[in-house]
Amino acid sequence: MQSVRKFWTKESCTGKPREKNCIRDSCTNNSYVRNSCVRNSWFRNATIGISCFFTFLLFLAVGTLLFVLKPSELFSALMSEEMLYSMELSVLTASISTFSVMCCSIPTAYALSRFSFPGKSLVKTILGLPMAFPELVLGLALLLLFGQGFLGPFLETFGIRVPFSKLGIVVAQFFIAFPYAVRVIYSTFEDINPRYEQVSRSFGYGEFETFRNVTLPMARSGLFASAVITFARCIGAFGAVLILAGGSYMHTEVLPVTLYLNISYGNLEMAITSGVLLMLIAFLAILSFERFEGGRL
Amino acid sequence: MSFLEVRDLHLDVGGFELTGMGLNAEKGDYVALTGPSGSGKSLLLETVIGFYAPKKGSIFLEGRDITALPPDKRQISIVYQDHMLFPHMDVFENIAYALRKKLRDKKQIESEVQQIAGILGIDGLLHRKPTTLSGGEKQRAALARSLVVRPKLLLLDEPFSALDMRNRENMREVLKKAIREYRTTVLQVTHDFDDIWSLANRVVIIRQGEVMQEGDPESVFRQPSPDFVADFLGTNVLKGKVRALEGKLTVLEILDRKRDSNLEQDESKDRNLNQSQKQTQSQSFEIYSADPAEPGEEVSISIRPEEIILARGAVESSARNTLKGIVTGISKKEHLVLVEMEIGNSGSEDSSSGNTGQGNSETGISELKAVVTPTSCELLDLGIGKEIYAVFKAANARIIR
Repeated sequence: MQSVRKFWTKESCTGKPREKNCIRDSCTNNSYVRNSCVRNSWFRNATIGISCFFTFLLFLAVGTLLFVLKPSELFSALMSEEMLYSMELSVLTASISTFSVMCCSIPTAYALSRFSFPGKSLVKTILGLPMAFPELVLGLALLLLFGQGFLGPFLETFGIRVPFSKLGIVVAQFFIAFPYAVRVIYSTFEDINPRYEQVSRSFGYGEFETFRNVTLPMARSGLFASAVITFARCIGAFGAVLILAGGSYMHTEVLPVTLYLNISYGNLEMAITSGVLLMLIAFLAILSFERFEGGRL
Repeated sequence: MSFLEVRDLHLDVGGFELTGMGLNAEKGDYVALTGPSGSGKSLLLETVIGFYAPKKGSIFLEGRDITALPPDKRQISIVYQDHMLFPHMDVFENIAYALRKKLRDKKQIESEVQQIAGILGIDGLLHRKPTTLSGGEKQRAALARSLVVRPKLLLLDEPFSALDMRNRENMREVLKKAIREYRTTVLQVTHDFDDIWSLANRVVIIRQGEVMQEGDPESVFRQPSPDFVADFLGTNVLKGKVRALEGKLTVLEILDRKRDSNLEQDESKDRNLNQSQKQTQSQSFEIYSADPAEPGEEVSISIRPEEIILARGAVESSARNTLKGIVTGISKKEHLVLVEMEIGNSGSEDSSSGNTGQGNSETGISELKAVVTPTSCELLDLGIGKEIYAVFKAANARIIR
């Protein structure tokens, strides 16, 4: 409210046309400020109108997806062998990916938030890249790295094959979700005053002990939120998964791939069902994200 | 070598820097660090405790060089302004957490926690989460957590500045008691003069990463260096003797402080003693204070410059104190004006007999500083040499012991 008031006071006092009528005292007067908030301005109405209109369109689109199928059709598609396979594989790969993403992003985010080291800004930039990067290009890059690059043949000597395998799904999901997770956890750590850690250090606890006893528990809501977002990103990852793992029927078929394969065969029921599933997961994820992100302990 | 010795400390942390800071403290000292904000006081504390590594210089504690030691090996505790209690632990856990590295025995930990909680008056709050505590309670809990480990050195970074007046006084009392009990050496950063008067036995004034002045509070505030006054408004300190009690008010007789200090410098003390005592008596004036005191007690009175109202004539008001004086200096300070004046006996019945012998040209017997806005400075038509009345409430004349 404070900032709103400030904004309005400033706006109405410094705006050129109004300056003449504006008596100094009345600008700082609260009733004047409140009046200018109530008054209908075209700008206020336009912004509110636009936000409502597009929210409504989005709502309509989601609603259509939900109600276009009869419950019986939805149920039979849900129970089909392909859908069950796809669901199981999605949950399995996304869980593994989420776990590995969390394991790597917590230390990464902590290092970025607390320490300064040479090349830190470069690391930050590269980590941010995949967010603006088209997923397909990322998939292609990964395919080249794990296929023809030096890493592929090297891993192959240990019998590990990444391209066109279930492992490929996990790898693709990992690289898609990692930057997001780092970003969320980074901001969580940034919100924790380092003085908490310093106080703990002063009682004789080492760096790692302090991290375990103070930082992690204080960050837990942020960590939970980031795990949820990571899981949703992993389940929904498509482009990179398709390129790296290939979208082969009942082999590397995760939910987005099911949607894609079935829509190309013209099998709408299956496509819509996987769409509904993906949306439900996203919805639950956002709901719990809103609930936990920045939540007080 | 002193108990704590900071030598030639150099450090630059984006915007704040220390340039050749040096500091000594003996065991049991209570050192108050003060100075304008951004002068590097907090940075000094965080370097002493080991959160920052200095670029140059060294820190010795009990004769041992701790400059390169990590904070967990130094046995120094810190209390910040915003308490920094771990929000995921209750008060008991917070205090016990500090002890767990030192003690293994659960019962022992519990008794230690109970002991410090009793001293600081938080025994009823041990099972509450920090978020449910009031500001004063949080600060007590933080203090308990820092003291319970019996640190060699306790650092306080403006620990009371987020508290209201009453809580602050309360905290000071509690802190006094606790550090007596735990025999801790303390280094406190503060902006509050009351902290310095009631707690510290040494004051260090810091400006732009350097020590400007240091010594016991009395001498530092009596003869502040000119830069210090310009940059950092001091409080008025007058020395007086309690003459009588009038209801709830204490009547103080302000002694001639110039005579006192001249006397100290005078080589022939004995000869002048009688004379000066006579002069003091004849040149005194009275101040009413709301703080309690015993008759005959010698005390100092502190009046903040911003609590003094200036008037052109003797006004009748609810404020008990009206002192007549002569303006001796006017200086602008950002958006305020600092007015310095000499206060004398308003009727000046002894004006002919005062100030003989010593060759002292000033007419007043005490200096007083007041802060006014530029507008009121204009309205009052203030000028050097003009007569002015300083008006302030008895509640604002604080007794310092």
